[in-house]
Amino acid sequence: MEGRKAILLHEKDNVANLIEDAETGDTILIIKPSGEIGIIQALDSIPFGFKIAVREIKKGEWLLKYGQTIGLASKAISIGDMVHVHNIEGIRGRGDRQEEKNE
Amino acid sequence: MNEIHGFVRSDGSVGIRNHILVISATRTVNVLAALVARNIRGAKCFIAGDEDGRCKQDRETIARVMFGLGKNSNVGAVLVVSNKIDGGYPEFNPNYMAEEIAKSGKPVDVLILEKEGGFYNALGEGIKKARRLSVKSSHARRELVDFGSLVLGVKCGMSDATSGIIGNPTLGFVVDRLIERGGTAFFSETTEVIGAEHIVAQRFPSDVERERFLSAVTMVDEEAKRTGEDIRTINPIPANIEAGLSTLEEKSLGAISKSGSKPISGVLKYAERPKNPGLYFVDSWMSSTSLFLGYAASGANLIIFQMGGQGLPPQEPIVPSISTGFVAPILYVTGNPRTYEKASSEIDFNSGRGIVSGEKPEDIAEDLFETILETSSGTLTKAETLDYQDPVEVYLTGPCL
Repeated sequence: MEGRKAILLHEKDNVANLIEDAETGDTILIIKPSGEIGIIQALDSIPFGFKIAVREIKKGEWLLKYGQTIGLASKAISIGDMVHVHNIEGIRGRGDRQEEKNE
Repeated sequence: MNEIHGFVRSDGSVGIRNHILVISATRTVNVLAALVARNIRGAKCFIAGDEDGRCKQDRETIARVMFGLGKNSNVGAVLVVSNKIDGGYPEFNPNYMAEEIAKSGKPVDVLILEKEGGFYNALGEGIKKARRLSVKSSHARRELVDFGSLVLGVKCGMSDATSGIIGNPTLGFVVDRLIERGGTAFFSETTEVIGAEHIVAQRFPSDVERERFLSAVTMVDEEAKRTGEDIRTINPIPANIEAGLSTLEEKSLGAISKSGSKPISGVLKYAERPKNPGLYFVDSWMSSTSLFLGYAASGANLIIFQMGGQGLPPQEPIVPSISTGFVAPILYVTGNPRTYEKASSEIDFNSGRGIVSGEKPEDIAEDLFETILETSSGTLTKAETLDYQDPVEVYLTGPCL
């Protein structure tokens, strides 16, 4: 199957990491921990090492990688969207925020 | 094979190098220490910066670095240089420093400017003393010893996604192996545990040490918030963000795997020497200009710098720090095959081959382990071959008064 490879590190994760550069429209092969391959389409150009959403994610929902939370979605995210600083917010160490969200 | 050829010191510790070290015990003799060292082939000279106007805690930290470097098993002989026998801050008393270092069994001497009758006399006498120390130190011979004699310091830097996927996990398997064989390893970078501390905390069998760890992380978290700045403008660093890491939590979760999976014996202060072998968390700033110096003072023989590097320039970049382990060489490894390709003249090991081949970190770790055995037995790291010493900083947190 032709496509750009991405690695899903944990079954619970809603993002995978590209290990090849991908252009908008490319087929992405999501290599899961079980060895199974999932297929999605890239909605953005996503370089090597960047993240792609493998599930629909609502604004305010937790992003999961390594089976752990890595931040909150600051916008709604579609399957195939790049996930990075424009749509994910880290929660810890935020001196710029008045209140801290509880985990 | 689980053995290396190391220098067995009389205190039982094993060194993988045999350096001559000149320590400037007070800033007023930095130039004397430096000029003595400059005249001795291969000598290293440690200069701390200004100890004046520093609070007790910071002075103790600086002294810990000096004592620790002197005691490091990679050091074959030490010359302590100072202005006067008495006077100055008590932490840096040259005779006390020399006596403590000499307990490790290595040849130690002291050079006092006042005693020699001034700078130029002291310079001549210092060169004489250091040459004698150099010959004495060269009597040391390498012997076959178990890999478990080693003390390793690990750090990840210029992190990108490969750090968490393959680079750090591969290193973690090697750390596990060292701890299993009774060795010692340090990991650190307190800021970069934020977001993953709950996972690391579970690995402390001691409640007291676990609390110390969590307090250390809380303190850095509070300090980050007190700046009033968004931590994301500080850490992850620009190189991380340009490489695709989006949050501190994501970076930390990828970083902790370099410490392996073994129980953590305790928390050390910066430059503190552990009393027993084991795996330790060092509460410290992550910068490689100061952390590796701290590791060496804690007793590290070898530093492993696990790089991401996706954010580095595309042609022949250089690595962040040259010889900031001071007496402990730095082995550069990367989990990013693209980084290895562009910087292969600087990087010693490519675990990033697994990104291309699908090899698992556990299997790649076998080869990294072999590389570490060779480096410990005398094979030079690429960074060591440069006749250049990057400036080092002692990690200090107190006010300058």
